[in-house]
Amino acid sequence: MHDRLDHHRMTGDASLAAALRALPASTPARDAWPELASRIRRRRVVRKAVWFTLPAAFAAGMALTLAWPHLQRSTASPAPVRVAMQSSSHATPPAAPDIDALQASSQQWQAWVQTLDRDGAPLDGRQLTQAVALQDRIGLVDLQLSAARNPSTTVGLWQQRITLLQQLGLLHLQPYLVATQRPASHDHLISM
Amino acid sequence: MDTQGTFRQTVEPALVRRLQRGELAAFETIYRRFERAAWTLALRLTGRADVAQEVLQDAMLKAFERARQFRGDAPFAAWLRKLVVNEALMQLRHDRLHVIELFDETHADDDAPAPWAHADSATLDRALNRLPDAARAVLWLYHVEGYTHLEIAEQFGRSTSFSKSQLARATKRLRELLAPQAEDTPCTIGSTTTA
Repeated sequence: MHDRLDHHRMTGDASLAAALRALPASTPARDAWPELASRIRRRRVVRKAVWFTLPAAFAAGMALTLAWPHLQRSTASPAPVRVAMQSSSHATPPAAPDIDALQASSQQWQAWVQTLDRDGAPLDGRQLTQAVALQDRIGLVDLQLSAARNPSTTVGLWQQRITLLQQLGLLHLQPYLVATQRPASHDHLISM
Repeated sequence: MDTQGTFRQTVEPALVRRLQRGELAAFETIYRRFERAAWTLALRLTGRADVAQEVLQDAMLKAFERARQFRGDAPFAAWLRKLVVNEALMQLRHDRLHVIELFDETHADDDAPAPWAHADSATLDRALNRLPDAARAVLWLYHVEGYTHLEIAEQFGRSTSFSKSQLARATKRLRELLAPQAEDTPCTIGSTTTA
């Protein structure tokens, strides 16, 4: 009895498998190749942009991080004495090399942001609003820089400018990061 | 045997090497060769043309970007087929797989005649598309792709009991869906999804 049932089940399985396999192949309604090729090209551009710009940005960030304690030390006030000295001599070099380093870093960040702005993926509405807000704040810092006389204020403003540029750069990278993100749980499925 | 539209095609090692170097032209050749097979598999597993389109795109994109991971110890077509299966199941898990329809737990009548033996392909295609996602995918993976229950369970992240019960339920439901069709209106229902 069991043999007969098993045989019947196997025959039924085999006939179902045969029927399913006999279903004709389908053809997609539209040619997906142009879109696929375009996606591949876009991703190549993005990957290049990210690979070329991220190390530079990282290096600039690292340099700034390493230099920052020194910058703070050199500009931090032994306040009364220093101020007194400055006011008496009117010729204190206001930590000029440090400001130069900050200006150079700021230029690097600005160039990076401009490259991303020019060649990168378009920002969506929310990101665009954030970008405009950041640019406005950078403009305000520039205005303050043009009026700043105190070296410590100047250093602080340059640092602020660099931070804003970094935020702007990261904002431009967001579309790429989102595009390449997939839930990690999917990766285990590809295992051949 | 006509292998067009199936994964039973060989890919020349030289073509695979060109793909692994990132040559888009080589990839287009491979894409064109497997487009129908990948699309059909995606459609059978997901049951929806729009989702299948997405699966086709994403699986092929992964094939291009991960071509260097292909070690050549299995046929390229099998590797590509696995990418499509993975992508399709991923889509199902993302979108709709949580909706696993509960069937009547009564056992199928094993002595009943197999209605699919008499159903035309369009009718069977329609019935297949009316199965719940998980059941349809398990049925297809088991009977057509030759997956074992253990492999199916791993793909779904479930137990082998899940695979077995889904298969039994899908078969029972398919019987129900096809029985009246086979008796009443054989060979009359058209389909828009098959070529």
